[in-house]
Amino acid sequence: MSVSGFIQSVKEYLSLKDFEKSSKKKSVKSLLKKLRTKRKELKKTLATTIEKKEKQALEEELEIVALQIKKGKNILHELDAKE
Amino acid sequence: MIKNLLLPLILALLAYGFWISPDFKDIASGVAIFLFGMLFLEEGFKKFSGGILESILQRSTDKLYKSLGFGIIATTIMQSSSLVSVLSISFLGAGLIGLAQGIGIIFGANLGTTTGAWLVAGFGLKVDIAAYAMPMLVFGIVFIFQKSKSLKGFGYILAGLGFLFLGIHYMKEGFEAFKETIDLASLSVGGLKGLLLFALVGVVATVVMQSSHATLVLIITALAAGQISYENALALAIGANVGTTITAIIGAMSSNIEGKRLAGAHLIFNFVTGLIAIAFIHQLMMAVEYLSDFVGIQSDDYALKLAVFHTIFNTIGIVVMLPFIDNLVNFLEKYVVSKEPSGEVSIARASYLSDAVLEFPTTALSALYQESRALYEKSFEIISYGLNLKPKRVDSLADIDEVLKEEYSNVAVDMDLLYNTQIKGIYGEILDFATKAQGNFPVEHIEEVHKIKLANRALVEALKDTKHLQKNMLRYKNHKNSYIKNEYNTIRKNIAELLRDINTLMRTQEEDVIIVLLSKARIHAQKNDILSNGVLDNLIRSRLITNEMATSLMNDSTYAYTICKNLIEMAEILCIPQKSDSSNIDNQMIINDDDIKELLETKEQK
Repeated sequence: MSVSGFIQSVKEYLSLKDFEKSSKKKSVKSLLKKLRTKRKELKKTLATTIEKKEKQALEEELEIVALQIKKGKNILHELDAKE
Repeated sequence: MIKNLLLPLILALLAYGFWISPDFKDIASGVAIFLFGMLFLEEGFKKFSGGILESILQRSTDKLYKSLGFGIIATTIMQSSSLVSVLSISFLGAGLIGLAQGIGIIFGANLGTTTGAWLVAGFGLKVDIAAYAMPMLVFGIVFIFQKSKSLKGFGYILAGLGFLFLGIHYMKEGFEAFKETIDLASLSVGGLKGLLLFALVGVVATVVMQSSHATLVLIITALAAGQISYENALALAIGANVGTTITAIIGAMSSNIEGKRLAGAHLIFNFVTGLIAIAFIHQLMMAVEYLSDFVGIQSDDYALKLAVFHTIFNTIGIVVMLPFIDNLVNFLEKYVVSKEPSGEVSIARASYLSDAVLEFPTTALSALYQESRALYEKSFEIISYGLNLKPKRVDSLADIDEVLKEEYSNVAVDMDLLYNTQIKGIYGEILDFATKAQGNFPVEHIEEVHKIKLANRALVEALKDTKHLQKNMLRYKNHKNSYIKNEYNTIRKNIAELLRDINTLMRTQEEDVIIVLLSKARIHAQKNDILSNGVLDNLIRSRLITNEMATSLMNDSTYAYTICKNLIEMAEILCIPQKSDSSNIDNQMIINDDDIKELLETKEQK
């Protein structure tokens, strides 16, 4: 058996492939948590902002964060589907 | 002249020595095999340096006592202070550690190197180490022929140790036999004269052999065979300690200013330690006697006593110099400075790139990132000048409309001159370094280096486009036609906002901030493109601007769009290190062209 083959079988034996996937999931989940907190904060600030220009900027950022949360969820679903 | 004559002289002396004495041949071949073993050992440890060694170094040098400990442990394990020095110089050059930490490592390495003396005196001379050498060599070579990098590295280390043992064996045999023909001990010189003379011999021997470790082993084996007196051996050891700094200085010549400063610190430390040892030689000898008695070393075991001496005087050096590290750093930063050629326009040079770093992929990549980010900082200033903005104001929390009003200059800045003096040299060095790195690096790093090259190219393209944009911008930004004036100021504003966001990106480590800002930048670049958003068509159709203005605006908005695109491309590469665990996710999370299209369409429908 070649060295790379040996490493591959050790990886499989120790379920390291699953470990890689689970660490990826962990990263996405932590990022989603941060984004959700950000969304909450943005909504709070938006509710108290009166100035039009600032309001527009906040609304735009909120849209981006919402889109990214959606993307994050999709990535998470894809990872779950692969299992 | 002297340099050209030195090599033939050494070769002639060696040949003469071989001719008159076969025992001298044994000693010389022992030294050669020992040095060859050290080369193997260094090669082996370098194979493991693709991350492990660097990450340990990075994590364990944030405090002075940690860097000191790292120097001691790393040198003890690798038995090569020069490899530890090279690593420190490359880390320092790459800006990953400070000069004080680098000095701490060098101090520690000096103490770590004393373990070599203990090993040879305590183990090498008392055991038939040649019996271990042969199997180590055989197994080592078998491993070297393996494809796996780790096995190859292990093979080099094993073979290196084998050669070290074999070298010591030959030196030992050579001196034993030599004793029967010539008694070198009769050449011993006593008193201060002898001390200085043999210290000088130690310096020269170490410079010639390029290894204090080899000199020390030679001294110990000669001492054990009774070929040199104990007092002269101590002087030789002091000289070897000073001589080893010459090796570091030669190594630092090709390094950047930080590497030169570290070599300077090494020289000062070892020189001061040597002076202290010479001045207090009698007191030190008494301390050696006391300690040797205390640990049970026999009174006639001079080899082990030499090891005790070596440890004591290096420890004293550290104790004496440690409180003055800050003064040493200030002194070196003040007096070891890079020289600018006088009378010429100064050309900016790379600060983090040095060929010495190339052997360590992870460090070299960090250096490339650091240098590219530094290039961005310079480019940011030049782009700001090109847009007639004050960089400090762009990079502030001030209202961007106010920043636009504060002009940098009444005349156009010479973008070509700024590019040629501030950017071109560094850009060239980055490309050169990256290309060399691609030739040296393992496959997994090559793609990343390629991306860094692309980031730098995008940055330089953005600069060049700013130059093209500058002419009409200056013409129209205060024009009496309010429509064209407004459009050019909008272009300035958009680029300034993007630069401000990129500056934030360069400073943050927060993933969510990086993703949101990069996505926002992409959306803005698309939204602000007046060719696709219909603004230009509207202006022409309504005859609000002349045909000439329309042509200029059309060309310049294309420049503005590509400036933004290139800056974003650069930021995406430099702000998300490609090898980080979450880089793949971060790249997936950033809004792509389809998302932007969807987002803009939804907005229009609203």
